[in-house]
Amino acid sequence: MSCSKENKLVAIVDDDDSVRGTLHELLRSAGFPSRAFESAEEFLESGHQQETGCLITDIRMPGMSGLELQARLNAERCRIPTIFITAYGDEEMRFQALRAGAVEFLPKPFDDEVLIESVRAALGR
Amino acid sequence: MNQIVKSKRAAGPAVSMARRYGLAFVSVAAALGLSLVFAHFHLPQTFGTLALSAIALTFWYAGAAPGILAAALSSIVRDFLFEANTNTESRLLFDLVFLVFALLMTRVARMRNQLELRVAERTAELTQSNESLKREIAERNQAEYLTGQVFESSPDTVIIIGTDYRYKRVNPIFARNWGKPAESMVGMHVAELAGAEFFEQRLQPFLDRCFTGENVSFEDWFENAMGRRYCAVSYSPLRSGSQRVEAALAISRDLTEFALASEALRQAQVDLAHTSRMTTMGELTASLAHEVNQPITAAVNGASTCVRWLTRTDPDLGEAREAALGVIRNAKRAADIVNRIRSISKKGESKRQLADVNVLIGEMIALLRNEASRYSISIQADLDSNLPKVMADSVQVQQVIMNLIMNSIDAMKGIDRPRELAIRSRPADDRYLMISVTDSGVGLPPEQMDQIFDAFFTTKSHGLGMGLRISRSIVESHGGRLWAANNSPHGASFSFTLPIPAEAPE
Repeated sequence: MSCSKENKLVAIVDDDDSVRGTLHELLRSAGFPSRAFESAEEFLESGHQQETGCLITDIRMPGMSGLELQARLNAERCRIPTIFITAYGDEEMRFQALRAGAVEFLPKPFDDEVLIESVRAALGR
Repeated sequence: MNQIVKSKRAAGPAVSMARRYGLAFVSVAAALGLSLVFAHFHLPQTFGTLALSAIALTFWYAGAAPGILAAALSSIVRDFLFEANTNTESRLLFDLVFLVFALLMTRVARMRNQLELRVAERTAELTQSNESLKREIAERNQAEYLTGQVFESSPDTVIIIGTDYRYKRVNPIFARNWGKPAESMVGMHVAELAGAEFFEQRLQPFLDRCFTGENVSFEDWFENAMGRRYCAVSYSPLRSGSQRVEAALAISRDLTEFALASEALRQAQVDLAHTSRMTTMGELTASLAHEVNQPITAAVNGASTCVRWLTRTDPDLGEAREAALGVIRNAKRAADIVNRIRSISKKGESKRQLADVNVLIGEMIALLRNEASRYSISIQADLDSNLPKVMADSVQVQQVIMNLIMNSIDAMKGIDRPRELAIRSRPADDRYLMISVTDSGVGLPPEQMDQIFDAFFTTKSHGLGMGLRISRSIVESHGGRLWAANNSPHGASFSFTLPIPAEAPE
């Protein structure tokens, strides 16, 4: 499984339908095509990791959490730049996420400019 | 009786015997003396007659033996002092007369004795009768006195109402309650005091039942000069002599203090249930905040999207509109969640209405879904689509469901195997429906199955331990039952029933 840097797809992982949907629309309005997944498992099973250039994921979900997904991808040597969006954010979690290589850690609701800039940075890198 | 009579006779035998036999001598001597006096004055000879009198006297007052002695003495005296020169035949005739007379007198004396005996017996009987009658009268007086005391000093109102619905007698407490002297109330119609409407609707039916011979009792709020009082009333039929009911004995006990205390207790229970709900809501803060945050995030995203579509050199109004509509949708979702929280936090009076339990379950699942997913718990609902409606307080039933779901979540927090929560609703039979909450958690220790419903029982490190206690009392006050059982292979299952109203209004 190789993850190349030319990947332009943004993957959204969040268990809430409305967050997934509106985030997809927001990225679309900013010119970024994206694909939404209901869970970390669904994303991993989909096989889209290869073409994913940026991953936006919630942290707390039933089943595998966002941090676990990040660890799993790292373990599979598929480092996708990851932006965490979460309603639960606390300092320790933020520190942990950033140390594991996250691009950004945003509490919900987030500023769209900050998000788009982070996506741009993730894809540009 | 005979003992008494005989003992009278036996008293002082020596003295009276001397007296009795002495009488024989004395009476004969007196007869002799009198005859001699008569003879001195040349009056006809009367010793025979006088002797007979003496004999009779002796028999009467001294008895048979002295009487016979007197007869013998008279015979001797007559023989030697008077008829000395008469012939044997006359003498024998006189002796015979005396003898017959003596025999007759013996009989007379005996009859006299018997009569005396009988009289003494009768007297003794009568005395006894008299004694027991006196005792009975005393007892009756005592009973009447006590009854009067009951009537007069009873702390309850005791009154007698005739079949014409007029007061025949009222006790002091009743008079005090109405602020009128007791005598003035005799003859008044019940409706004059209680009001025509209250009398006709609330009192008359019970009084009429009492007048047919039935003992009736009931409780109600009454208004009198003391204000509003809660009383327990009993009507007992009174019959005097004839079998017909002539009046009702009405006793009424003031239970206002108890009713108010009971009311205060009920209010305290309502307050406690509310406090418990609020405590649970407090525990749910994090997950509720998260739950409300999702639609707000979605709304912000939608608004950001809308602005982006409008801020282009070439704005796309269609897209902007769609995004804006999404904002409205998501904002409303957020408002729904807030409303749900608000409704369960309501403190108000308990209100029983027709409720669809499936809807209540759905609301609680929605409220707690987030909390469950925090701990990776999946919720499964199996709700009977034809579930009848029940008469219930929605907030209270939701509290029970919430409590059971929260307990199941707690039971599954630490376990390794799949964490599954299932809620099921179905009719149990014609009269009840049953709701079950089942989990795959740590289960219940069998020896604590009953204890878990006790107040302040908890195995958690937090919480009061009141949840199940309150849940059970809510279910029971609705007429249902709440119980626990272990699930196989793992976990516990809590079930409760609610009665289905008899007349099924749609």
